Amino acid sequence: MTPILELDDVRKHYTTRSGLARRTSSVRAVDGVSLRLERGETLGLVGESGCGKSTLARTLVLLEKPDSGEIRFDGRPVAVTDAASLRRDAQIVFQDPYTSLPPHMKVRRIIAEPLMIHRIASGAELRARVDELIADVGLPGTVADKLPGQLSGGQRQRVSIARALALEPSLLIADESVSALDVSVQAQILNLLNGLRERHGLTLLFVSHDIGVVTYVSQRIAVMYLGKIVEMGPTADVYGNALHPYTRALMAAVPSMEHRGRERIEVRGDPPDPRHPPPGCAYHPRCPIAQDICRVESPPVREWLPGRHAACHFALDGVSDGRNTG
Amino acid sequence: MLRRKTAAIGLGGIGLLIFVAVAAPWIAPYEPAAQDLSNVLAPPAWDGGDWSYPLGTDALGRDVLSRMIYGARSSVLISACAMLIGATLGLLTGLVAGFFGRFVDTLIMRLGDIQLALPFILIAIVILGMMTERSPVHLIVVLGIPAWIVYARVVRARTLAEREQDYVRAAETIGARPLRRIFRYVLPQVRSVLPAIALIDLSHLVVMESTLSFLGFGLTSPHVSWGQILADGRQNMVVAPWLPVLPGIAIMLTVLCINLAVEGMRSRVEPRRRWWSTRWRRSGATRTTLDMATAASRPAVDELQAGPTPDDVLLDVRGLCVDFPTADGRVVQAVRGVSFTVGRGKILGIVGESGSGKSVTSYALLRLLSAPGRVSAGTAMFDGIDLLGVPERSMRRVRGRRIGMIFQNPVGSLNPVLTVGYQIVEAIRTNRDVDRDAAVELAEKVFRDVGFGDPPHIMKQYPFRLSGGQNQRVMIAMTMAIEPELLLADEPTTALDVTTQAQVLDQLRRVRDEHGTSIVIISHDIGLIGEIADEVVVMYAGEVCESGPTEQVLREPRHPYTQALLESVPRPEAGVTTELRSIPGELPDPTRESGGCPFALRCSSVMDLCHTHRPKPLTVGPAWSAACHLYSEDKAEVTQR
Repeated sequence: MTPILELDDVRKHYTTRSGLARRTSSVRAVDGVSLRLERGETLGLVGESGCGKSTLARTLVLLEKPDSGEIRFDGRPVAVTDAASLRRDAQIVFQDPYTSLPPHMKVRRIIAEPLMIHRIASGAELRARVDELIADVGLPGTVADKLPGQLSGGQRQRVSIARALALEPSLLIADESVSALDVSVQAQILNLLNGLRERHGLTLLFVSHDIGVVTYVSQRIAVMYLGKIVEMGPTADVYGNALHPYTRALMAAVPSMEHRGRERIEVRGDPPDPRHPPPGCAYHPRCPIAQDICRVESPPVREWLPGRHAACHFALDGVSDGRNTG
Repeated sequence: MLRRKTAAIGLGGIGLLIFVAVAAPWIAPYEPAAQDLSNVLAPPAWDGGDWSYPLGTDALGRDVLSRMIYGARSSVLISACAMLIGATLGLLTGLVAGFFGRFVDTLIMRLGDIQLALPFILIAIVILGMMTERSPVHLIVVLGIPAWIVYARVVRARTLAEREQDYVRAAETIGARPLRRIFRYVLPQVRSVLPAIALIDLSHLVVMESTLSFLGFGLTSPHVSWGQILADGRQNMVVAPWLPVLPGIAIMLTVLCINLAVEGMRSRVEPRRRWWSTRWRRSGATRTTLDMATAASRPAVDELQAGPTPDDVLLDVRGLCVDFPTADGRVVQAVRGVSFTVGRGKILGIVGESGSGKSVTSYALLRLLSAPGRVSAGTAMFDGIDLLGVPERSMRRVRGRRIGMIFQNPVGSLNPVLTVGYQIVEAIRTNRDVDRDAAVELAEKVFRDVGFGDPPHIMKQYPFRLSGGQNQRVMIAMTMAIEPELLLADEPTTALDVTTQAQVLDQLRRVRDEHGTSIVIISHDIGLIGEIADEVVVMYAGEVCESGPTEQVLREPRHPYTQALLESVPRPEAGVTTELRSIPGELPDPTRESGGCPFALRCSSVMDLCHTHRPKPLTVGPAWSAACHLYSEDKAEVTQR
């Protein structure tokens, strides 16, 4: 079966001008990303702020135009000029439930908009479809005649999801969709997304900075650092036995009771300035196992173990016998 | 109240003017051009004239009252129509320029710049001077078209901001074309700015129209305008002084009424803080009366209030209540009888979701509540000082010096125009009695302590040059230099990345270990609290539901809310196969009367009793208490009653 989505060396650079001299500097927000999404799976894309994960998500729904590389949807290359056909198949749910809904429209109207724009339904049929969507995301029917301002954050995010589902997309991109919510509500939305994926056979690209959330919802995860994917593989394998030192640091940094008084894998310094990425491997200034080669040569993404990719010169060094040691 | 009255006067004046303008043919006693040559320059009724011409007549024997009434008609018609033309043109061009940007924007805005650079009144005179007869239509066009730029600039700025909002992007992803996005999504948000600009523009147009008429480039006879009456009157000013005065007053009153109305509208959009509302947080004295009023409803808290503070406790908060009166007269009780203690050299974690009152608690303790919030009950003994009761002057000696603060947004807590080095040296010298050199030396030492490799370099940087994590470390360094006894950290790592967060947590721990500082750390992240805190306070809807030693509370939580909260955090090791525990429903209404347990509506082990009786904090272990009826011995008895 063809993968639903394939990315081949996708790049998106921003040019910024600053100062009186109008010096230009280029930010490589997405710097050569290749990945595939199989139908029906959930891929988690995790990384810290500024790593380019949101730009990548927006590129997939063509809110940003990629500078180079190819995006294939269902085996067909997506032409930048033909956004309309993609938009029925790929939808995005944004992070902030407070800004992602038009404040002047009632919920019924917000959910009806995509159906009206694509002339899918009208009149009684439209009403019925909207009611169905409202019920599908677990909202009471009474919200239909409310404005977004009268709803809580969790309810608003459900409305966003209903709007995205209206066009019956095959791919749903959740761009930090639970980050602004309280944990108890976050759990509701995560369960909803998991349920919807099963009921509608959705493919989910789940973008988040929270590795706990990502590992919970995804079968596979991809870790991004400074515009590049540094590790990708099945969640259980990556969680138990990460190949890239950055992934290990990311997991160790999550605070929890288990870390009380225990030494953690130290991450030194701050993420580098994306306008001036370090030479060689972008992670080497913070990496505990960096060698001379890391300062000079940028490691390519390689499949070190079956289904497990990593961009590190010493990917197998942290793995004692090559397979899940945990 | 005052502002509403002025707005009413303004709107009333405008209404009267519109009525006069519309009803002119019926209320004016004469035709405006009708001449009575036997009664030239008749004085007004109060100045010896008779009532057939209440405001007298002009040099051609025309009734001044009728001319004033018809003048109002011209004024209103011309200004209103010109305004509508300007507003429509400006709205459309502003929307297009702001939404599409790039060269469309450049073209439209440069055109506007050129127009603003030209002297409008001279051009208007040239155009109108070429015409021999000028009707209202001519003036409307000449005045209306150039007015677009006023609207276009404001609309463009708002559109630029709205265009970047997620809801407009979302509209794009569901397939809405540009015109639909502009008119269905952006326009409804942008148009709210129009009425105020339109009214200001209207008063400008009234003056403009009068000016042109006065200069002889306005309406030609038989049309009448106030400017014309003014110009006519000026020639006979010596014999008939009332003639120029009347239209002058009319123009002035019109502009005044419009401005009053604008003022009223603005105050509705941006309500000003009332001067008296700050009084609540300043005075500690008003508290006592409220204290007694609310005491009856808080029996559980009163029991806790007994007994002196033990020596090893640095901060002892008892029965803290914070209210926010709302505009419609209700009261949001953000914090409802919160009690906790912070031991010397201990780290206390306060954990809760948004709306739990955890941040309000910290602001209340520092007396930094924003109006109209006020502490309505409770005490907070800090080393023998009641933080909530001492005068503001003594509080200033405590805040910053003895109690340090770290907030969620470090960049906002630092002054953007001063280097971080300057700020830390100033902070040290304000709070500690040292000279400049010693302060610089100390600053370098603490900067090295928080992990900066090259302190002199960092000290020369401005906050915006540093990352969020670096700024937060600067804040921690400042605290370490001042060596407060207590540090209040409100979501100190929420804005930071997880790898940076780990470093900041390590620094906080070092502050405690090396300086013996007590820390109150407030967070929504139960994992973070679990890692760093010695004791934990779990808050829900303004109340403490469980508190005790972190290890025990988080390993064997007793309160159903703590249990649910822990189980709703996704754990990587659990994997997708398990359904995540979520708490159904939402937070209760914060204006509710405190009857039963705040968590009753979402609780999985709820009993009838929970809806009617508020649970008291009950001891469930050493230094460990939970406010839940499940652990109450007399629950059976109360339920039966």
